[in-house]
Amino acid sequence: MLQGASAGLAAGGLYAVIAVCLTLMARLVRVVNFSQVAIGMFAAYLAVIFAEQHLPQWAATAAGVCVGAVVSGLIGWIIAQWLPEAGIGARSAVSVASLLLLVSLSFILFGSKPKTFKSLLPGPAFSMGNVVVTQVTVVMVALALAVAVGCHVLLTKSKIGTKLRALSERPTTAELLGVPAKGLSIAVWAGTGLISAAAVSIVAPTQTNDPISLSFIIVPASAAALLGGFRRLDLAVVGGLALGMLQGALAQFEQMSVLRYWVPFLIIVVFLLWAERKEVWDVAR
Amino acid sequence: MSELILDDVSVSRGSGPVVSGVSLVVKPGSLLTLVGPNGAGKTSLLESISGIVSTSKGNMSLDGVPLGKLSRIKRSRLGLVHVEQGRTVFPSLTVQENLELTAKSPTGVDEALELFPELQKRRSSASGLLSGGEQQMVVLARAFAARPKYLLIDEMSLGLAPVVFLRLLPIIRHIADSGVGILMVEQFAQLALKIADEAIVVTGGRVTYGGPAEPLMTDPALLHRAYLGMAEV
Repeated sequence: MLQGASAGLAAGGLYAVIAVCLTLMARLVRVVNFSQVAIGMFAAYLAVIFAEQHLPQWAATAAGVCVGAVVSGLIGWIIAQWLPEAGIGARSAVSVASLLLLVSLSFILFGSKPKTFKSLLPGPAFSMGNVVVTQVTVVMVALALAVAVGCHVLLTKSKIGTKLRALSERPTTAELLGVPAKGLSIAVWAGTGLISAAAVSIVAPTQTNDPISLSFIIVPASAAALLGGFRRLDLAVVGGLALGMLQGALAQFEQMSVLRYWVPFLIIVVFLLWAERKEVWDVAR
Repeated sequence: MSELILDDVSVSRGSGPVVSGVSLVVKPGSLLTLVGPNGAGKTSLLESISGIVSTSKGNMSLDGVPLGKLSRIKRSRLGLVHVEQGRTVFPSLTVQENLELTAKSPTGVDEALELFPELQKRRSSASGLLSGGEQQMVVLARAFAARPKYLLIDEMSLGLAPVVFLRLLPIIRHIADSGVGILMVEQFAQLALKIADEAIVVTGGRVTYGGPAEPLMTDPALLHRAYLGMAEV
């Protein structure tokens, strides 16, 4: 069971990183970005294509990640240009369209057969008793923590962080005071796109590797972000890691392994019921 | 030419025109107050100047630069600062951070806080936790820290006790005296007129009085007629 939980940590690290990105997007640019993982998937697939052109693996991955950031920035530019005053619903709908576009584009560009991702970090990092911890697991957990701490420091200790927080609280007022709303929004999109693309590129070799399965990692990642109420970075990280470990542990039991796919949905439903408990109670009365 | 000029400006919103053919001039160092009944189009007029809403007709310029197609950011870079209605502090930001957001120099925050000594000891408090009056002080200090050339102030008194608003009025006058041109929308006409150089009364989107503030202050009947649209422009 411990081995399973440890194996689940790599996926948990990915959920945590994506959950942090989703939380930042919701807080700073008012979008629940359903295309967050699809951007990473697209970048990882591009890296395979670049590697097939005899580029070293690290260079191919770096190029894929950069393109992922540009694609993400482009979606952000479209929203900042045409939907600057739109609510979170309309803006999130654009991200659903982007998700579908990226999945279909990847089928067109890369074909319908799943690609084989080469691991950037092969092999174990260390073992404790019978439990083997892989390099991917170590890097993903470290990345999740680093991204959360780094973003927290950026938001609370830097001038650009102050501007981003102002923008998230009163976008019109911030703009009237000279905060460059459009540029900062696009930068947030590009930044979270870069982080997502890097995280997916590292974990992709250990996951199911067709575009749809990869893109729908957004569901457990959203469940993790929901644990932090799309506000708190620390709870998003804890939620992501815990969810990954739980899924990994469940996979160890044959009778229960199928349940692991239900866990994110269960978390989402329980959270929404908990969040709405007062209204439900009032209606019942 | 150093002036904020509106020439025959009209603004439409949803159901139809809310401002029709308004012309006015705000000079550096002067305070022009815009008064009128609820729904007269005062806020819409200010929002059209700062670029929140578009004009449907007319021209606007700031120190000779046409504002028509400029974004809000570009207007703010020209020295236009809009203090919106309500207490528009950034609640999670401290008082210091609210002011740093706009301060143009390292001493800008301290200079702005000199206007409101009571905020000195609340520098590190989240501004969302301050009282309504203190929040309005932060908003005004933040606008002053931006070193504006022209300041648009919308209903500063909204939701404030009159005694708090009375505390803010001399500071607004002080900002104007420092060389800033101010266009102030206010419902408490009598109080606003006390500190204004000139006044405009807007009723039903049209200017019904434009001229010195003093006659309106000393002759309530004139103010009344202007509110009813019966005074000479």
